[in-house]
Amino acid sequence: MNYYQLKIKADDKQVVLERILQVTRYRGFLINGIKAKVNTGTNIGTIELMVRSERPIELLVDQINKLIDIKEVRVDNSTSQQNNAGLT
Amino acid sequence: MTTDKKLTGGGLLFNVLEQHGVEHVFGYPGGAIMPIYDALYDSEVEHFLCRHEQGAAFSAVGYARASGKVGVCLATSGPGATNLITGLADALADSIPVVAITGQVATAAMGSDAFQEIDIFGLSLACTKHSFQVTNIDDLASVLHQAFAIALEGRQGPVLVDIPKDIQLAEVNGRLDELVNLKNKVKLPPANVGSAIALLSQAKQPVLYVGGGVGMANAVDELRDFAKITGTPSVSTLKGLGAIDPKDKNYLGMLGMHGTKAANLAVQECDLLIAVGARFDDRVTGKLNEFAPNAKIIHFDIDTAEINKRRKADSSILGDLKVNLPALAIPLSIEVWQEKCQQMNTEFAWDYNHPGESIFAPAVLKEISDNMPKNTCVTTDVGQHQMWTAQHMAFDDPSNFLTSGGMGTMGFGVPAAVGAQVSRPTDCIIAVSGDGSFMMNVQELSTIKRFQLPVKIVLIDNAKLGMVRQWQDLFFNGRLSETDLADNPDFVMLANAFDIKAKMITNKSQVTAAIEEMLEHDGPYLLQVKIDAQDNVWPLVPPNTANDKMMEST
Repeated sequence: MNYYQLKIKADDKQVVLERILQVTRYRGFLINGIKAKVNTGTNIGTIELMVRSERPIELLVDQINKLIDIKEVRVDNSTSQQNNAGLT
Repeated sequence: MTTDKKLTGGGLLFNVLEQHGVEHVFGYPGGAIMPIYDALYDSEVEHFLCRHEQGAAFSAVGYARASGKVGVCLATSGPGATNLITGLADALADSIPVVAITGQVATAAMGSDAFQEIDIFGLSLACTKHSFQVTNIDDLASVLHQAFAIALEGRQGPVLVDIPKDIQLAEVNGRLDELVNLKNKVKLPPANVGSAIALLSQAKQPVLYVGGGVGMANAVDELRDFAKITGTPSVSTLKGLGAIDPKDKNYLGMLGMHGTKAANLAVQECDLLIAVGARFDDRVTGKLNEFAPNAKIIHFDIDTAEINKRRKADSSILGDLKVNLPALAIPLSIEVWQEKCQQMNTEFAWDYNHPGESIFAPAVLKEISDNMPKNTCVTTDVGQHQMWTAQHMAFDDPSNFLTSGGMGTMGFGVPAAVGAQVSRPTDCIIAVSGDGSFMMNVQELSTIKRFQLPVKIVLIDNAKLGMVRQWQDLFFNGRLSETDLADNPDFVMLANAFDIKAKMITNKSQVTAAIEEMLEHDGPYLLQVKIDAQDNVWPLVPPNTANDKMMEST
């Protein structure tokens, strides 16, 4: 099992968080944790998503990137672990 | 159209639709969309009343696929909206630009389990490219502009706009926004054609693997130029049919589960597979890790997420096929390979000899294909008849073959033909259906009657769910479970009840005259073709099997 942390920036639009979670589940990734906040000045949301899966993370990154309201998706390599214990 | 006069939200909707060039919409009224239907009364947009919201959605899909325009469908809240979902899922799977407008209960009632309230916005997440719920009348025009832009940009797809009843009734200034030009959100890197040209130059046995993306990108001419200049033998997916000229001597037909033997063997032997607007779907690849085992891959696509999704590409060319295909069109010296592929085409050509007097569906479809008018558009439902149509009819453009590819939705064929006929009123439209699929949206015969659409329906009737029956025979020890349809209605009488002329044929001696009568008839026509219930679709690559291990008979 591989563990990854994604940092996502998105426009603060309707159901953007639901869209991210739906894609994450459908594409075969389980969610270990999530943090989300919105900068009310810029209306940009920042989401940190901790996921695990047997599948390569690029598959999820590409699919989240396709969502209309997403501005950026980054894999945080400092916290992502492949074939290792889960994030705490 | 643009005016400072106050409009209702419903009135503004139709003005924006007209601004986007929408002339025809498909739908069904109901309580929560009544203000929009009231505004329709004053609109120049022509509405086609379907007899089920699923029919409206498939008609919008057929309209879009046959015309290259955005298809638009309307439905009320609750069950009206949920009935659209299968059509939207179909459009998503096949990347079809559709805008669906749903009525919603008034904003004050939302979330209260009101009558005919369902969270269609939430339900839409998995079956649309994007969706909106309008909660402020001042956002309505902008949201509608975005919906059209998103439906068409990049990889096309369906967009849903949910409009609560109070927003439909609210007054708004009628001055229209400028049309937005929503650019591709994901910036694609400039195509690196160098590595792809190197792979092409080194290839001794290349194959061009053509998908539905070619037609969606309006790149048929560029693809055909590429095929001609490179001389590369080509194969097609179900949705790619029509992109390559079926008379091209290097064209080997459809690949995959029911692909031609020549196409599948060529792909398995090739040393370079050039995927163009195709996505290595499981029905194409068979056992994935044995698909084209010796091939390097060049993958052309508009969608970054398709690259390396199921098969790693050695070179990926992202972006517009109309630009990128010409950049790689270089002459290749592959005469020996071309000759081998042409020999396979000859050696494994279809055999239309069929013993006995019963009608052989492949021969009927071939005869229709040989005799139908130029630019005929054929739709299908899903099952054996669909595969026989793909195998035995020839299409000279992807917009002339409309079939539910990714979703495989039974019930697609007749309503899609309605949409195609509305978009192309002077072209011949033929819906090839099966007796199982036909009954799934049979109510759309009423739409055909209402608008006197001259759709021809060829009903391949084996009184079975034929494809499932074939799999039960082959892979479930002949345990036939719920696939017998011997209690079908009298289809001729059924068609006649909708004022549609109809005929049943049961013997191969009747075929030629019946096809002639159908094609010469001015109005709608149903030709019921009774076939042997035991006829199977061949070849067949069994599940999780390499494509060169196809079954050719039992």
